[in-house]
Amino acid sequence: MKKFFKWAGILLGGLTVVAFAGLSYLAGGPKDAVYMVRYALPHMHRGHLKVGDEAPDAKLLALDGQRHFHIRERTGARPLVIIFGSYT
Amino acid sequence: MVQLYNDYKDHADFLTVYVREAHPTDEWQMKSNVKEDVCYAQPKTLAQRVEIANDFVKRFKYPVPFGIDDMSNAANDAYAAWPERIYIIDNGRIAYRGGMGPFDYKPEEARAWLAGRYGEVKHAATEAPKATGGS
Repeated sequence: MKKFFKWAGILLGGLTVVAFAGLSYLAGGPKDAVYMVRYALPHMHRGHLKVGDEAPDAKLLALDGQRHFHIRERTGARPLVIIFGSYT
Repeated sequence: MVQLYNDYKDHADFLTVYVREAHPTDEWQMKSNVKEDVCYAQPKTLAQRVEIANDFVKRFKYPVPFGIDDMSNAANDAYAAWPERIYIIDNGRIAYRGGMGPFDYKPEEARAWLAGRYGEVKHAATEAPKATGGS
């Protein structure tokens, strides 16, 4: 039984190292891998929307910081291309 | 995206939605942010988001219509947008749902959708200026 836990621990440790190495490669370095897990992963989610679903509405603020509008106000006869993103 | 907007703005409407920052200085800042002088802390107020969004628009002379998600991140959550994603809405429904950025963020897919509806817009091969930051 002790041997089992020993080898399970070694396997788990090895997998963790491999996973971290892979994540480091993906993120651009070990530090980035840590930050990715800490700051990015909690906010990344695939979402549930599919093609054909009704487009959700949301209230947005215009660049002037004063006027509000809804996404639905921008949908109409023409398709609406929405680009989500940030500066950094 | 600016090229896409210029190519199809006569046929489709465009809206850029600014969501929470992807690589702020107080979270996961990338070396490229420092190199390109795009250094902002994660906005804690809507006014800060407005300021950063305006900085972006001014720096890149960004012509695409713009909206800012409020601090409840309603638009971001509804569309699983973070860090970047493209959608096309047609007749009130999702007609194209892009992959999650950065690896699955593919403006060429949105272009293909628009080209399928309105025809392809071709350009002479020129050296494009390096675009930095944002979408």
